[in-house]
Amino acid sequence: MKQKHIQHLYWRASFGIDVKQIVSLKSASKSKVVSKLFFDSKEFKVLELDLSEFDEIKYKTNKELSEKFSEEELQKLKNRRNKKVRDLNYAWIDKLGESKALLREKMTLFWANVFVCRDNDIFFIQNYNNTLRKNALGDFRVFVKEVAKQPSMLKYLNNKQNKKKKPNENFARELMELFTLGVGNYTEQDIQESARAFTGWSYKNNGDFYLQKSQHDFDEKTFFGKTGNFDGDDIIDIILEQKQCARFICDKVYRYFINPKVDEKRLEEITNIFYKDYNISTLMEHIFTSKWFYDDENIGVKIKSPIELLVGIQKVVPVTFDKKQQLNYLQKMMGQTLLYPDNVAGWKGGKSWIDSNTLMFRMKLPSLLLNNAVINLEEKGEFEDSFEQYYKVQKQRNKYLKITKNWESFDDKHQDLTAEELKDFLILSKLDKDTATFLENLEIKSNRNFCVQLMSIPEYQLC
Amino acid sequence: MERRDFLKQSTLASSLFFVPNFIKAFENVSKSTFKHKKLVIIQLSGGNDGLNTIIPYTNDIYFRNRPKLSIPKNNVIKATDELGFHKSLAPLKKLYDQGYVSIINNVGYPNPNRSHFRSTDIWQTASNADEYLSSGWVGRFIDKYGKNPYTAIELDDSLSLIMKGKNMNGIATKNPNILFANTNTAYFKKVLEQQTDAHLSEHNLGYLYKTMIEAKSSAKYIYETSKTYKSSLEYPNNPFGNQLKTTAEFINSDLDSKVYYVSMGGFDTHANQANKQSKLLKTYSESVEVFVNDLKKNDTFKDTLILTFSEFGRRVQQNAAGGTDHGAANNVFLIGENLKIKGFYNDAPNLVNIDTNGDLIHTVDFRSVYATILDKWLQVDDASILNKSFSKLNFI
Repeated sequence: MKQKHIQHLYWRASFGIDVKQIVSLKSASKSKVVSKLFFDSKEFKVLELDLSEFDEIKYKTNKELSEKFSEEELQKLKNRRNKKVRDLNYAWIDKLGESKALLREKMTLFWANVFVCRDNDIFFIQNYNNTLRKNALGDFRVFVKEVAKQPSMLKYLNNKQNKKKKPNENFARELMELFTLGVGNYTEQDIQESARAFTGWSYKNNGDFYLQKSQHDFDEKTFFGKTGNFDGDDIIDIILEQKQCARFICDKVYRYFINPKVDEKRLEEITNIFYKDYNISTLMEHIFTSKWFYDDENIGVKIKSPIELLVGIQKVVPVTFDKKQQLNYLQKMMGQTLLYPDNVAGWKGGKSWIDSNTLMFRMKLPSLLLNNAVINLEEKGEFEDSFEQYYKVQKQRNKYLKITKNWESFDDKHQDLTAEELKDFLILSKLDKDTATFLENLEIKSNRNFCVQLMSIPEYQLC
Repeated sequence: MERRDFLKQSTLASSLFFVPNFIKAFENVSKSTFKHKKLVIIQLSGGNDGLNTIIPYTNDIYFRNRPKLSIPKNNVIKATDELGFHKSLAPLKKLYDQGYVSIINNVGYPNPNRSHFRSTDIWQTASNADEYLSSGWVGRFIDKYGKNPYTAIELDDSLSLIMKGKNMNGIATKNPNILFANTNTAYFKKVLEQQTDAHLSEHNLGYLYKTMIEAKSSAKYIYETSKTYKSSLEYPNNPFGNQLKTTAEFINSDLDSKVYYVSMGGFDTHANQANKQSKLLKTYSESVEVFVNDLKKNDTFKDTLILTFSEFGRRVQQNAAGGTDHGAANNVFLIGENLKIKGFYNDAPNLVNIDTNGDLIHTVDFRSVYATILDKWLQVDDASILNKSFSKLNFI
């Protein structure tokens, strides 16, 4: 397989590739390389924090907690709990960079932006996150049904308030609008009827799903022209019968994994594949083994998400954050904080990652991480912050990122590369002519130095 | 497309390319008369308790619902028979007495969302409650009528959704020196210095280069232009005061920017609200007063309209922790010299007819406020920016 094609595949199916790995894959056929990707992602390993300190308050409702603790104690508990969601964020980012199950992790991140959810309860959100991971390459039908039963999701989209006598349509609406069909592909009546089918879908304190029978509407509903005593699972089955569902998901897959500009013919091709059995692995394997996936027009044209950028750099030069909260800072400044999506529509991605401020920050990121560059920018405060916290002057904060860099690992792999080779390894996109001239005239002091320089040109923003 | 053509198009086009002809014509008219009009938007972030800001001090229901949190009559700066200002708003009351303030009560939207994130999105994108837009209303204004990112400036280090357009975004900076220094780092500068007009502008790569060039030129423009005026007035020494001071410096330096956006945090007062809110309102009103004076001194106040909003108000009833929970409709302040309806624009909040959550029901859609500002102040086509036509109010 061609080096460029291996890199392309690994950027889309993962977060880039190790220069040494390329060598070992070059002699293999495309199908071999692709099946290795799937083989390495076969296993599902949960992402779990040590949460034993919360055993005593595990699975307690706010009401139960407030009976047990004073206002002040409760606030402290909540702060600790919310901090744990941050810890999960850090652990997830680490996993993105280190996991052997590259494709599974990349898909998990993709699904997190399809089935968008947000929750401060660490137990619930961790469960939700692992539900994405578990189903990331599996059966989409099973996946939707499991996600729909996640306590975080039921909470986030108000299904706890969805009761027989007073249906709350939020979950039903987002299920169709954002998760499966897209706006305009169902009627208001479909929403009302399906909302009835999800009435009483609730969860116990321990996070287990259960049907609150007294609140469930067992009567007949009419949905997409079918009539029956449907429950939520039936509704999901009927949604999946619509080819639009396969098309909607494939459109997202296309933009994320192939090209932000959709080729309608190719979209139709993968939609047909997916619609057959909603098997995610089959779909992805078809894409990664197609000849057209490796067409020049698909290579190096996607704007990396902030997480792709961040993890991608770390794949080249491994770094350790001595202060984990600085990871949070980086995510916020670039506009993508894992587990904290802006809203249920998720991150829009593509060009919307880029504005004057984020672009400057992104281009500075390599030298922030690797060259002790100084930060001159402060992140925004949170809604819940007091005035003082909101405007916390970061005087005390070291304006440098506290990072341990493993340049030795970089040297070990990249020391012997020529400048041209290093450039081909780091830059996938077509080079701007003037920038190419500029790079050619650049006096290259060391590969370390050149690496940071290459990562600081606009082309590095693309994969 | 060759970059040369692309650039030609984008300088010409960034403002005109996407705009239908009839609007172009309209814009040309507006230029001569409204060229200098500025809009300053202040978000009280966290959901300010409007009922304890503009106080219905003769309403028994107010006192009944807030046995501990209501502001006693004699602590209120009375404005009308029904409504008065929180005493921390004395500086705002002064502006009010001069006819510079218009207060619109009960502003909100149908099916209010009580999440900070979601409701802020709704206010910033001007969407319906069940609609997700990825561009802000100021962003869409820049798209249609701006030529540069600095058409709208956020006084912060990162850009909010309100400032993001589809094809062009605003720019964020708290400090033009830092912004300039950041675009001027040696390497960044070198990459840019190399740029001739000759390269390709393919899709995303072209977009990156275009954004980079714009960032650099905007930073340079803001840095150089704003140097011409340094404020001599003393602003309250806090970050919000500084943000307004910088805004005044931008406006008084005659920066060709139309919209400024500042978000002031700290209003999420679930517990022990009384002192916190009092301090916040004091900070707000004192800073705004100096800001107005700064503009007046430089004869720019007449061309500036200040809009203050919060993503939602608080519940009518106080909670057990001496605070209030997330509510719905709220008051909005407009400050300027050209207000048609000075003082209170509409009726006081109705505390009898509240929704099932115990929240105020809106009578004015916030998008009517935007539509009015876009149409009558900035003199642009509001419907194409707000994606829909909203009835106009007559405060300007």
